[in-house]
Parts: sequence; C-alpha cells; structure tokens
Amino acid sequence: MEAQKVDMFIMANGKFFESHYVGQIRDRLMQLDDSKWLVIQTLQFKDPTTILIVSLLAGSLGIDRFMIGDTGMGVGKLLTCGGFGIWAIIDWFMIMGATRDKNMQKLQLYL
Amino acid sequence: MNRGKLYLILISACITGYSWLAINFYNNAFIESNKLGGCLIKSITSIPCPSCGSTRAVLSFLKGDFSDSLFWNPIGIILIVIMVVTPIWILFDLVFKKSSLYNFYHHTELFLKRKWIVIISILLVLLNWIWNINKGL
Repeated sequence: MEAQKVDMFIMANGKFFESHYVGQIRDRLMQLDDSKWLVIQTLQFKDPTTILIVSLLAGSLGIDRFMIGDTGMGVGKLLTCGGFGIWAIIDWFMIMGATRDKNMQKLQLYL
Repeated sequence: MNRGKLYLILISACITGYSWLAINFYNNAFIESNKLGGCLIKSITSIPCPSCGSTRAVLSFLKGDFSDSLFWNPIGIILIVIMVVTPIWILFDLVFKKSSLYNFYHHTELFLKRKWIVIISILLVLLNWIWNINKGL
C-alpha cells in the first residue's frame, strides 16, 4: 500500500493501539495489498478513553468488559460485585490496555 | 488471552472466593448481614447491586437452607456451580495436558454474544436487581 495511505491510517487510528505496536502495524500495512484498503479503512475500533469512563461509572457491573467483547470476564465481574470491588478498581488501570489489545486483535484479522 | 493466563485468573478467583467464604463463615455473616463489605456500589450509594447477597446465598446453601439460598440471591447457585466445577476441571486439564476448559470458555463467550441470549440475560439481571432493591439487601 502507498505510504501516504498508511500514514493517514496511523494518524487517524494510532491512539487505538499500544504505541510499541504502531511501527509494526505500519510495516505490515505497507506490505498489504491495495484491495484491502477499503476494509481496513472502515474498521471500527473502541476508544480506550470512552471505555475508561464506562469503567469508572459501571465497572462493578462489568459493562466495560462487555463493551470491549471480553464477555467471560464481564460475567465474572457482574456475578461477584466487580470482584468484591477490588477487580473493578484494578480494571480502572488495566482497561485502557485491554481495549488497545482487543483493537490490535481486531486489526490482526485483516493483516 | 492464552490458556495459562485464563487458568491463572480462574484459580486466583477461586482462591479469593473460597477465602472470602471462609472469613464470612467464621464471622457469621448473618448476624451483621447489612455490614457485609465488598461491594463498591453498595458502599457508595447504599443501593444493592444485582449480585449483592450472593455470599449469604452460598452460605445458606452450605447450611442446607436451599429456599433461603434462592431468596437471598439466585446468582449464588450459579457461583456455587462455577466454584465447584472450575478447580476440578482445571486440575483435569493440567493432569491430562488438555485445554478443554479453555475451549469451553471460548464457546460460552460466543454463545453469550447471541442477540436473544443477550436480551434475556439483561432482562433477568435487571429483574434480579429490582428484586434485590425491594428485598433491601
């Protein structure tokens, strides 16, 4: 793919991924066929900041985990009052990383 | 998430659950049932969350009061099943070097993401929540 398109993608979506993956993503996108550009461009990623707000407000009910598609962990949080409150607090710090991981997994399906 | 990480999380969750049960069993949680800590929502807003009362439900179940257990919180029964089955299943997997629980976890996740299952479970949780608030847990 052209460097211009790839850089445009990185500029628009860089914040959705862990910073140490961005270089790797750029390399993989450069090698990618041009026909996949449309699909890659229309992918929707979850914003870590939005998920953090949800986690702060409704983390005890596991809604943050449900939103990023981690249903099993979400059920675990819901059934245990957010892991007796401890897991809910730990997730305030972990959820942004977890969201970026999930975004990476989503992108990797197309790379 | 890989198999090792999932099993580590499940084992630590089970250990925490059993220690929590033991603490509440020996402190006789029923006497001071309203002082039970451990729930962020209830400590901040004094409104019980959907799964408040499940410790009391599990303890009632252990004492053999099954109807009491259902009254406190039906989620307690689900937790008992999970807490009994998970350690045995993990032990089985580790001994025979399989990943059947890991596969089961993924299948359950996919099953729970179906639209009608999502709608039914949200409704059930909401009903349970309303019931919990009415019971004044």
